[in-house]
Formats: sequence, C-alpha cells, structure tokens
Amino acid sequence: MTERDRLAAATRAAGLRLTAADLEALRPAWKRYLALVEELRATLAPETLSE
Amino acid sequence: MKAPLASLTAAPLAQVAQALRRRAVSPVELVDAYQERIERTANLRAFITPPGQRARREAQRAKQQLARHGVRTTAGSRILRDWVPSADAVLVTRLRAAGAVLFGKTNLHEFAYGVTTANPWWGVARNPRDVRRSPGGSSGGSAIAVVAGLCAAALGSDTGGSIRIPASLCGCVGLKPTYGTLPLDGAVPLGWSLDHAGPLTRTVEDAGILFDALSGGRAWRQAQRVATRGLRVGLLHDSIVRPLQPGVSNQLEKAAAALRRHGLRVRDVRLPEMGWTVVTQLVTLRAEASAAHAQWIRARPRAYGRDVRIRLQLGALVAGADYVLAQRMRAKITQAVRGVFDDVDILLLPTTPITAPMVGERTVRWRTGAEPVDGALVRLTAPFNLTGVPALSIPYGEVSGLPVGLQVVGRWNDEARVLAVGRLIEALASR
Repeated sequence: MTERDRLAAATRAAGLRLTAADLEALRPAWKRYLALVEELRATLAPETLSE
Repeated sequence: MKAPLASLTAAPLAQVAQALRRRAVSPVELVDAYQERIERTANLRAFITPPGQRARREAQRAKQQLARHGVRTTAGSRILRDWVPSADAVLVTRLRAAGAVLFGKTNLHEFAYGVTTANPWWGVARNPRDVRRSPGGSSGGSAIAVVAGLCAAALGSDTGGSIRIPASLCGCVGLKPTYGTLPLDGAVPLGWSLDHAGPLTRTVEDAGILFDALSGGRAWRQAQRVATRGLRVGLLHDSIVRPLQPGVSNQLEKAAAALRRHGLRVRDVRLPEMGWTVVTQLVTLRAEASAAHAQWIRARPRAYGRDVRIRLQLGALVAGADYVLAQRMRAKITQAVRGVFDDVDILLLPTTPITAPMVGERTVRWRTGAEPVDGALVRLTAPFNLTGVPALSIPYGEVSGLPVGLQVVGRWNDEARVLAVGRLIEALASR
C-alpha cells in the first residue's frame, strides 16, 4: 500500500470527500503531522509493561 | 472647548473617555470621525461589516467572531456570511453594560484559523504601517483598526496567538488573559481548550481598563499598586526562542537592560519542555477545530478557503490516542511553566521572532534553514495558549520602520503584575 493509498483510506474512514487534487494538497501536511507525532510517541512511550 | 477630532481618533481609550465625559466631543461626532477614517482606509480591509447608522449610537468594536444581536457575524467565513445572531455574546453584553458603544465588525482570518488575515472571502487585510505587509492574524482587522485610528479599542480572540501576533506586527497592545477568565459564550469556537478573548488597544492602561470591564475584576486597579522594583524577570534561553531576527533580538536585550536599570532582577531561565509545544499545539488544535467543524468540513469542504480546508481535513485524521499523547505532553509543559514561576515573577520574550512579513510570504529564511511564516509567527505565542497563563504584547521599538512586540507572561490569574510590568516597558520604550 502506498503512502497515497494510506492517506486516501484514512480520509475515507474519517468521512471526508476528497478529490485526487485534494489528496495531493493534504499530503505534505499529513506527512509532517505523522513525523511530529512519531517523535511525540517515542518521547512519551510507556515503560515496558510485563504481564 | 472642543477637542480636535483628528487627534482624538488616534488617542487612547482613557483619553477619549475623558473627552466624552468633559463633553469636549460628542459620541456622534467621534463616531462620524471614525467612520470617515474607515472610508478613507478601505484598502486596509479592516472591516467586514462596517459601522452603519446603528454605530452612531455605539462606539466600540467587536471582532466578527463574537455574536452581536441583529448584526451580521460571519467569523470571516463564507459559510456564515448571512448569519445574524439572535443574541449578543456575553462579552458584548458586558461592554454594553460598561457604557461602551459597539462599532462595526472587523476582518479576521477565516474562522480565526490562521495568522495572516489573508481572507479569501472578505479581502486580504493590510498592515497600516506598510500596506505591502501582513497585519498578522487572526485578529488582523482589530489591530489595524486600533493602529489606524478607526476605533478607540477592539476585541480579539486568541487560540495560538491571534491577539498578540497582530498587535506585535501592527504596533499596538494585545492582552491574552488567563484561560477561562473571559467567557466565550456566543463566540464561534475554534479550539475549546485553547480559545481566549481579550482586548487590543493603544496603551497598556487601555488594555487594563477594558480587561476589567470585560472580567468584572480589578486587575488594572491592582496593577497600579504593584511595586515593579525587585520583581524577578526570566528571559527564556531555549531553542524555541531561536532563531530571532537580529533587530528583534536587539530590542529584547535593550528592554532587559532597561528593566535592570529600573531595579528589576533579570536572569536567564530555561524551559526545555517548550520545545514540544509545536507538536502539542498542532495535534490539540487540529483535533479540536476539526471537531468544531465536523459537519461543515464533510458536507461543504469547498465553502472553506484552501488553507483552512487543509487544516480541518488534517484534523479529521487525528487519532484519539494521538490527542491523548498531546495532552500528556501539555501537562508536562504546564508543570514546567509552573516550576519556572517558582523562580521568577514574569517571563519576557519577543511576541513574534520576526517583524511583519510581506503579504503572501510563506517562508522565513534563517541561517539555520527555512521556517514557514505561520509557524514562526505562533512559535512564541502558542505555548501560552497551551498553558493558559496571561500574556501581554507591547510595542517596543522598531526595525526598519516596522514595530517589534515584546511579550510579558505571568502566573495564572496574575494579570495585575503582567499589566504593571507591561506599563513599565511601555514607558521605557518611549524614553
């Protein structure tokens, strides 16, 4: 699955109606968002939990 | 003796009120003088709904985001272009009760969701100091109106810096009070946990007077009893404060030196957690704004301008778990800010790292790399929306004819000390 396909699937799941041009316009912001959130997730990762 | 109207349109609110009380000018004469100036400066795009006949009975203004009974309130959008509220926003009611005359509705970034006031539906607002440049936003029209002498004072909203940024870029005072101090009932929401309302004015005194009228409190009266000598002032020295335009940095250093000479204890402080404000604000605001616009962004995406549409669509993709992560980081940032205020009474930093950019400019070029203009403009203001502490922007000097804004930040509900230090900085700036 390409990055574009993943974004298209995510927008459909969110109930958005996007054209191909809309998807292209949204993609840079989405990529930046994912990168920033990944940093946040890594910083706030819970300590390993043992069962 | 009649006061000269031309000087009164540029005068602070306190002076205008005094002239009205002395009957040196009548309210109708004053409103007519403002109206005449508004017509002459239509190219600034300060107003969406200019004052009409009704304004001759009213003399202060509210941003378009605040509902006013019987007056079209668009929030700078196409979607609400015909909305006429059936009731006043609470802050409008309080201004009326204080005897204020409400006057027109100003331009803003669409739905207050941006910091340039380049509004696709109501016109690209222009900086009165240089019409080639942006006034900032989202409350751009309010700052223009104050600086260009189109009203005595204005109201704005601030979700990531929307009062303080235009105040800084246009050269007026802007106060974002403590979160929750001023009720937002009747205001079109953007981000529920980040939204604030506050005044934009020509002087710190005016901001204090208006804040007390809006809050029903006594912060300005208390500010006049605050002894500033000996107060501890922290200068932030973290990566979030860098880079700065050299001229902005120079003004900050001059202000710090002037405060030291005046007996305040200025020292460097560090708040490394602030490095996380960009992502924390991004996730929080994208999610909250998208929730506020959940129906319209799905049903009528073309009714939004391109930049706001993309922000709202991105917000619809924010996962609940990511929002929770952002709130965890927000709690850490808030805790760090609380810790800093154990050591200092006030934080001092620039409001914006740059002076007014050109209209349409998208990127700031630093020696270390490029930064989006909108990101640079909120870099030093958004941390205080996340934490909810009071923050005041005051003009302090110029760089190449463009105003520089400095930001005074205080503890929660300590507007009195923020206003007192702000008034001192204002006095030092004029020396």
